[in-house]
Amino acid sequence: MTSVAIIDYGRGNVRSVFNALDYIGVTATITDDPAVIDDASHILLPGVGAFGDAVGALNARDLPEVLHRQAFDKGKPFLGVCVGMQVLARKSFEHGEHDGLNWLDAEVQRLDPGPDCLKIPHMGWNSVTLSRAHPVFDGIKADNLEFYFVHSFAVTTADTSKVLATGDYGEPFVAALAWDNIVTLQFHPEKSQDSGLEVLTNFTRWTP
Amino acid sequence: MLKKRIIPKFLLRDGRLVKYRQFFDDERQAGNPVSTAKVYNDYGADEFIVLDIVPSEGSKAKVLDIVRTMSEEIFMPFTVGGGVTSLDDVNALLRAGADKVSVNSHAVRDPNFVSAAARRFGDQCIAVSIDYKDVSPGVPRVFITGGREKTNHNPVDWALRMQDSNCGEILLTSIDRDGMMSGYDADMIARLNEQLEVPLVVSGGCGGLEHCMEAFAAGASAVAISSLFLFTDHSPIKLRSHLVSNGINVRASKTSRN
Repeated sequence: MTSVAIIDYGRGNVRSVFNALDYIGVTATITDDPAVIDDASHILLPGVGAFGDAVGALNARDLPEVLHRQAFDKGKPFLGVCVGMQVLARKSFEHGEHDGLNWLDAEVQRLDPGPDCLKIPHMGWNSVTLSRAHPVFDGIKADNLEFYFVHSFAVTTADTSKVLATGDYGEPFVAALAWDNIVTLQFHPEKSQDSGLEVLTNFTRWTP
Repeated sequence: MLKKRIIPKFLLRDGRLVKYRQFFDDERQAGNPVSTAKVYNDYGADEFIVLDIVPSEGSKAKVLDIVRTMSEEIFMPFTVGGGVTSLDDVNALLRAGADKVSVNSHAVRDPNFVSAAARRFGDQCIAVSIDYKDVSPGVPRVFITGGREKTNHNPVDWALRMQDSNCGEILLTSIDRDGMMSGYDADMIARLNEQLEVPLVVSGGCGGLEHCMEAFAAGASAVAISSLFLFTDHSPIKLRSHLVSNGINVRASKTSRN
């Protein structure tokens, strides 16, 4: 049976993710308990706060090793959202330079406001373009690939094979990554109304 | 590209929705906040804002309850404000399910508050709400305490200072235009937008679809709307289709579910 462990590292609003899963009828627990995480079928790392602070909070609870075990040894479906996507990178430049969990060869860089002086944070709804089909985006019409973003930093990677979706904010930015049993999203599915709930539903049904 | 946003904005007084003109006149009851928010979620609004306009210890508890219920039933971002005077207040609202917390009077009273809140909770979840009106022709000033207390801040200068304090967004409200449905203060929006690097949500005066066009033309990132939705037959759906047909980049559709 599907049960999602929502990783609690003591920061901000993780309730919304729980509420969205509850709404779509999926059993979920907000937890930092390795035993509960080990028992879950799906892992969701939500995104809250700043990069350095988030990594520090994960480390303080010895969570990186627990998460690594779920994703790599047990091969569970793993979803990282927003900062929960970014912390998997090698390094971030948000307020200084911080090491990440180094799950992939990627860095987190500040968005460039460009010649049009675009507003930072990139806040609001934006459309994304998929580079390939993926089960978590199944059944969502191209017109409805619109999601809620709120971020000032984004993942950059030379490993383009992992880029699942991009958005456009002056220049293209990575909106989703996917490889093996791992999917990460820069946008907030729990705040993206029907399209977001669809992504969460797909994730909880995903058996990679 | 990033879409322009349509944001219903609601005022709470003791846990009930209310609406005024120019902040004080002509109180009208406007219903239950949670059911209203659900309606706008179904209408595909892009976000919503709810502000407790007469905050007290008693109303704070009611607002937290409302926020908790809203976050169980509504899956779009929402901002909550009114009576936020401590980091604990911010934390309580975020933990209850708010995505952004708006700070107004306390940002003026404690000049370090916004930067402290942004550092602790992240820039993106601290919005600064600025209410202003003309104290004489062409002399706008920021007002706090629900429009009752004048300050010496010019709204543009104040917004830029709050940006330097790392707020994630500015919510700019014209008291003179509040509830009058005669149009946004496009001059002020343009003047501020020229210098502002964070998103600008504008409020006060929306009475028709063309007013939203004017606000976006002046540079607004989002329009906050209350009277137009509460007291006319306009809805976010109708506004959205009007904006799309006029070439404004808003979300075209709201649903992927069959």
